Amino acid sequence: MWTWFYKLASPPYVYGAAAALTPWFLGLAAITMGYGLVAGLVFAPPDYQQGDAFRIIYVHAPSAWMSLFAYTSMAIAGGIALIWRIKMGHAVAAASAPIGASFTLLALFTGSLWGRPMWGTYWAWDPRLTSELILLFLYVGVMSLRSAFEDPARGDRAAALLGLVGLVNVPIIHYSVLWWNSLHQGATVAKLGKPSMPGSMLWPLLSMLLGFMLFYGAVLCVRLRGEVLNRERQAKWVREAIKS
Amino acid sequence: MGAGGDQIVMGNGFWSMGGYARYVWPCFAFTCLVLAWNLWSANRYYVAARLRARRALAAALAAGEEQ
Repeated sequence: MWTWFYKLASPPYVYGAAAALTPWFLGLAAITMGYGLVAGLVFAPPDYQQGDAFRIIYVHAPSAWMSLFAYTSMAIAGGIALIWRIKMGHAVAAASAPIGASFTLLALFTGSLWGRPMWGTYWAWDPRLTSELILLFLYVGVMSLRSAFEDPARGDRAAALLGLVGLVNVPIIHYSVLWWNSLHQGATVAKLGKPSMPGSMLWPLLSMLLGFMLFYGAVLCVRLRGEVLNRERQAKWVREAIKS
Repeated sequence: MGAGGDQIVMGNGFWSMGGYARYVWPCFAFTCLVLAWNLWSANRYYVAARLRARRALAAALAAGEEQ
């Protein structure tokens, strides 16, 4: 197990693995998202209360999930880099941040458009919405902090620390609908064993979630290759790799 | 959730989304935009990094020849 872990610390291995995985992630993302879109937009029945407006869930929920997933990945990668001094951890964290920020923006935008017909307003200072907005600010803070230092290593460490501190916001976002009175609906899928959706609505949603995760993986791999090249520019293996 | 029954939404009703078209379609359009931007910007970042590495290599080779 440790051999595998140490392999992940090797820049040439990460660079090569990212290159090999990208087309697989992209291809599978296209298939799962294609199925999710067609099944969600065409075959799923309208909701008995929300009508066809509920179809926004097929882009809103996956983007919201991915905003949390990308942040958690970023914070864990930064934490690994801080604790074990693995440089690739910082590279993964740096590559993950802009993708996660874009998913957070997407979740806020689609949630706002869904909120207008359902709640009568585009925005409310609701615990779920506010904590998701704080997540966007955290992403922006982490990215800004990383580039604010002249010494990239110090920027990496500061960004990893802020990422770890901000991790406290992730359970707050997830449980905000339970801890406080919220306009936002409670969990529909995450209720273990008994999701409150029929299969015809649920499967496209799960497929979209998988598609978003695979897409995140693909974009992360491409960004990661750029990060590795930027960080290892002077290394001999990079010179060999870009010659070919 | 769920009205039950297998209903296929197509034709005019599909595009009007039961009167919610102005909320539903912008969400999907913005999603496409964000996903496309992610791919484009990641690729641009990678290409720029590769170019910088090539320049660094060329500079190192030129410095070696001068010596």
